[in-house]
Amino acid sequence: MSLTATYKLSARLFWRDKGMLPASVITPLGLAIGMPALMRNVQADGVTAAAQMFVGALALILSGTAFLNITVALTMRRDQLLLKRLRTTRLTDRQILLGEVANTVTQTVALMIVSAVAVHLLADVPLPRNPVLFAVFAVAGSAVLATLGVAWTAAIPRGELAAAMTMPFFFLAGLASGAMGPIMNLLPSWLHPFLAALPTSAVVDAVRASYGPGTLGSDLVAAAVPTLVLAVWAGVALLSIRRWFRWESRKS
Amino acid sequence: MTAIQVNHLSKSYGRFQAVNDISFEVEAGTVFALLGRNGAGKTTTIELLTGFQKPDTGSVRVLGLDPISDRAQVRGNVGIMLQEAGFFPDLTTGQTVEIWRDFTPAARPASEALELAGLTAKAKTKVRQLSGGEKRRLDLALALLGRPDVLFLDEPTTGMDPEARRDVWEVVRNLAARGTTVLLTTHYLEEAQQLATNLAIMDRGEIVVGGDMAETLAARVGRVSFELPSVIHPGELPLPATVRGRLAMVQAADPDLAAQTLLGWASERGLRLRGLEVRMASLEDLFLELAKNDEISQNDAPAQRDRGTRSDRPARSGDARA
Repeated sequence: MSLTATYKLSARLFWRDKGMLPASVITPLGLAIGMPALMRNVQADGVTAAAQMFVGALALILSGTAFLNITVALTMRRDQLLLKRLRTTRLTDRQILLGEVANTVTQTVALMIVSAVAVHLLADVPLPRNPVLFAVFAVAGSAVLATLGVAWTAAIPRGELAAAMTMPFFFLAGLASGAMGPIMNLLPSWLHPFLAALPTSAVVDAVRASYGPGTLGSDLVAAAVPTLVLAVWAGVALLSIRRWFRWESRKS
Repeated sequence: MTAIQVNHLSKSYGRFQAVNDISFEVEAGTVFALLGRNGAGKTTTIELLTGFQKPDTGSVRVLGLDPISDRAQVRGNVGIMLQEAGFFPDLTTGQTVEIWRDFTPAARPASEALELAGLTAKAKTKVRQLSGGEKRRLDLALALLGRPDVLFLDEPTTGMDPEARRDVWEVVRNLAARGTTVLLTTHYLEEAQQLATNLAIMDRGEIVVGGDMAETLAARVGRVSFELPSVIHPGELPLPATVRGRLAMVQAADPDLAAQTLLGWASERGLRLRGLEVRMASLEDLFLELAKNDEISQNDAPAQRDRGTRSDRPARSGDARA
């Protein structure tokens, strides 16, 4: 009952936070739909380019809607002593954070599905060949990014700094996944493995496999490394939360 | 039955000793007031009792349970009104209470909680539009939702107008009458005197005075003041008095008895004691007395500090036992 209650509260606040909607919904969704639609019309091999760009742009939804949104929301709630108030109730700490994460996963996955359908209709990008692989990595990636967002709040001293201290990851994720064009080719080669190890890159790699040609066997092989990468990031996030997460700002 | 038990509790933040070896007990169904100036350690004590802070040493039991290790069980039976905690500003008062009901098993109906806190008319008002006093009332409504056995109120009426304050007092009295144990902190001495049967006064993390409210005040002197009749010299009065202008003041452990003596004496002489006022010792007197002691001991302190002793404090009573 209590987890459902925190989930419901978090969902209600997500759509009411007009200050955050541009960063958490409008920008990621606009880029994930708009850029592929643009590519479809300006490139000779429009559909292929649009599909490439769309899958890369999923990293923007993951880093904007999951990571950035939960980081900013939790940091603000911590500073406004809303988390403290929630802790006066019978809710456990786990229920409070799980409710936030579960809602973030829902919103992020919903936006990923909406954008996949939108680029299918607007840019002729085909729907994923293996929708299960797409769905599994959409959910797992959102969950890991949201958990990392919870952990990242510990590094942010004040709510006003939350967006500024999270935005670089948004651009880094977009850069690494190709959502911002083939900039990766301009970067030094030693940087590539680090960018490939980002959780957003892992999701993009697995989702790319779900769009490309293949069989169940090849999909499982393609999912192996991304699964491992996400598992490592999940472990890092959970350990960091256990060690450093703060329910109140330092000043109080 | 003891509802709250505090044994040799201490908590420091770095080098600052917020709470220093305090002990007290609160009987079930009573109202206990924790008093003191800003920074005395009241809020830290409440946070230790509610499990928000972990004690450095000592122990706390609320309804026989440890508020940290048995948190879920304790929170299910207590209501907490923190001194400072936020609200979701874009939700209305009614929505806030409804959401909190989802977190509270066997919660009161929202309308009942709003009525108890005097917020029925504000049910559709957004929290950001509430005044400071109204937000405190919403705080109270949330604390009361789960029909708690123990209620912690940290400065419950701060920012409220006198009428609202009295309404809250009535709510607290009714709850206590039905068996709820209430531990409150307040700056308003009248509030403590009106509501509490037991008290502890804290200063710099220690309990300096504690025990039964009536007994504590009875141990202090009260006073009788009146206008000195023009035909009377102060030396003729039956009790020693200090006179300022024409106002005479007699200090006495039992001011009622002193007033009777004075009235009897005046009656025998056919005199009227105009402006007669009998004042029992109040918490305010006690506070002023403690502040005065503190000032005196601080003035004496430097020489003793040089010798490494700690005497910059008023005389302490022992542990408070409510």
